[in-house]
Amino acid sequence: MATTVLPRPKQYDDTFFKPISIWLTTTDHKLIGIMYMVTSIISFVIGGIFALIIRLQLSQPNLKLVDAETYNQLISAHGVTMIFFFVTIFVTGIANYMVPLMIGARDMAFPRVNLLGFWLIPVAIILYYCGFFTGGSLNAGWTGYTPLTEKAFNHQTFGVDFWALSIIVWAISGIMASTNFLTTIVALRAPGMRFSRLPLFVWAQISTSILLLIVGAPLAAAMILLEFDRQLGTQFFTTQGRPVLYQHLFWFFGHPEVYVMILPAFGLISEIVPVFARKPIFGYMSMVAALFGIVFLSMTVWAHHMFTVGMNTYVEGFFMLMTMLIAVPTGIKFFNWIATAWWGSVEFTVPMKFVFGFLATFLIGGITGIYLASVPVDTQLHQSYFVVAHLHYVLFGGSVFAILAGIYYWFPKITGRLLNRTLGEWNFWTVFVGFNGTFLIMHTLGLEGMPRRIWTYANPAWATTNVIITISSFLIAFSILVLLINVVHSWGHGEIAGNDPWRGNTLEWATTSPPPPYNFERVPPVRSFMPVRDLRESGELIEAEPVLTPT
Amino acid sequence: MARSARALLTTIGLAALAFLLSSCDVGGLSPIFPDPVSPNGKGIYDTYVGISVVAIIVFIGVEAALLWVVLRYRRSRQPAGYMPPQVHGHTGLEIGWTIAPLIIVLAIAGYSFVELQKDFQPISNQEMTVKVSGHQFGWDYDYLNGVVVHQEGSLAAEVTPFVVPTNTLVKLQFDANDVIHSWWVPAISGKTDAVPGYDNFSWLKIDKPGKWRGECAELCGSGHAQMQIIVQAMDKSDFEAWMAKQKATTASSSPSPS
Repeated sequence: MATTVLPRPKQYDDTFFKPISIWLTTTDHKLIGIMYMVTSIISFVIGGIFALIIRLQLSQPNLKLVDAETYNQLISAHGVTMIFFFVTIFVTGIANYMVPLMIGARDMAFPRVNLLGFWLIPVAIILYYCGFFTGGSLNAGWTGYTPLTEKAFNHQTFGVDFWALSIIVWAISGIMASTNFLTTIVALRAPGMRFSRLPLFVWAQISTSILLLIVGAPLAAAMILLEFDRQLGTQFFTTQGRPVLYQHLFWFFGHPEVYVMILPAFGLISEIVPVFARKPIFGYMSMVAALFGIVFLSMTVWAHHMFTVGMNTYVEGFFMLMTMLIAVPTGIKFFNWIATAWWGSVEFTVPMKFVFGFLATFLIGGITGIYLASVPVDTQLHQSYFVVAHLHYVLFGGSVFAILAGIYYWFPKITGRLLNRTLGEWNFWTVFVGFNGTFLIMHTLGLEGMPRRIWTYANPAWATTNVIITISSFLIAFSILVLLINVVHSWGHGEIAGNDPWRGNTLEWATTSPPPPYNFERVPPVRSFMPVRDLRESGELIEAEPVLTPT
Repeated sequence: MARSARALLTTIGLAALAFLLSSCDVGGLSPIFPDPVSPNGKGIYDTYVGISVVAIIVFIGVEAALLWVVLRYRRSRQPAGYMPPQVHGHTGLEIGWTIAPLIIVLAIAGYSFVELQKDFQPISNQEMTVKVSGHQFGWDYDYLNGVVVHQEGSLAAEVTPFVVPTNTLVKLQFDANDVIHSWWVPAISGKTDAVPGYDNFSWLKIDKPGKWRGECAELCGSGHAQMQIIVQAMDKSDFEAWMAKQKATTASSSPSPS
């Protein structure tokens, strides 16, 4: 069968170094996806530097490397940067790049909304960091509890105002992106790509978008009411008002946000395991059902962040039960992943190593979540270092390990070149050891009574644990440095990957690496949820003309 | 081979670390709370231990399954040209691993709920009531008889202790007059938030004389780390003597009404 190879527009050479005018004005979902990811990685580095300063300050009792006010700004900036500007933005970016390819579409449904949605993110980030240059940024933790963020207790700087504005802009961007994803997936699927054949990464993006669409607005509402309090003198959340109302509004967003960060990670894992185990995903339908079970349950659990404010014990019992029930759909996904690899021919490439790193560590985060869901036990663990350890096990051991797996898995598709395997192995083993060294023993600090968010401590019993944690955290930083060197080096000089280096299952592997602006010269026929594998097995797979040729 | 050996070594290392964590109580690495000295703290402690039994079994089971996949189903261990069975699912298994976690979490939730009803309900049979009030940055303890202990925050090792009699059911009523604080002494019980405008309560019944440390657990501003807590329990007779002394001090320092 002869195919016509269309001439590739000049902007589609394989290099990252295109004219700035192309980057600023492109509506191509792939370039926007790359910009999302690059922005988020810059945030990751900045947030990581904050973390290292925090760890140095805590490494010994009574250190005064930074003062209390600076420390409070650092922990707030670390949390906001990592949650709002790194993980959420990275998963949005990788979905922006991959979802249209995986469903066989030419672009997102609303390319210009996509462009606007992306450019609001740098605006949100710059707004937040304006605080640092105007006397002081947010100093009340990433949750920004009232009344501490109210004018009466926080009037010296504009940090809280910049944070609130930044989060409003961020929420608008998130709502735009979610609308765009849902429309794209509903309206632009290739012929034959029924809902029952959507890749699980795309299903994960549907569930994530629904979630963000529902909870983004209450977050913006909380921030707007807070600004009314601060600037117009209303009394919604002040000492005279209802400070706990703020917590309800914030956590109605805040807990589902955890799933906004982890569901795309689940999608990634569900794509990578079948490819490297050479088996189809186990229990496709139950995987999809579990995603929507999590979406529903995640909106009925927010008050488990508030078990110590003094609620009726039956209300607490309800939130405890709903929280624990999330273990059921998550368990289904977990066992299905294991069953997918069981009896397989499992190739432990770097992405697969990160997947197993994810499984091994995310399990610990899931189990400690059960302790925190139990109301009586939570009253001990709440706001202690146990919680800090737990949330890093789900966010770093969960989302970030999956993101790293995704980077190694899809980098060859995005750039046409493989990441260096040796550096990848170094990256995996150092981050795995560094991560567990940092956060596993951190649980014990919480059990011994060290509260989170204290800038220094007098208790000598906590010194040894803290110094081990600090040393391990620098191993994580080293590992991320290895990753960055690998990415920068391989982007220009990596081994040429070809169109389908992993023998993938989903449609993005049917086009060139990197794909042309129009994604597919011909959209391949879709007969199951593994269309490219079907074509490979029936001998119909037409190798697209490689973009990169060895020089 | 080298790679599976390394995976094995890593596993052994992690297992050793886990064993270390679960067996040693020295050097600040403890897998459990301090020994509880109040019945509500004991209840929480027991719930924690109960959940841990299930959690450790699940943890070992699932990690072992993962390890089995790593060691047994890696491509280098499979015969050349091995084509895995193309299994798409198994309804029985999928129902099984939906039901099993459901039963486990329902059991844990039920167990926790019983403890919640036992130790977290409002009480009215207290022998003594103290109003605990948080402020930036310290705690005031009002014994409702004119005596108030001011526990001003400090980074020093000692702060003014909050004194209670042993074997006495003391109800603590919480309040804050600026931002939210949270009162936490791990050896006694869990945290109770002090939220301006909200009533909140806890209780304690300490079974032996001694001193226990705690901290404010809700970020409340730049002095958050200073808001250390010390609770001192005394035998009832010692407590009476202490209270009499406090009353005398209060009487002499407050201006005379006439």
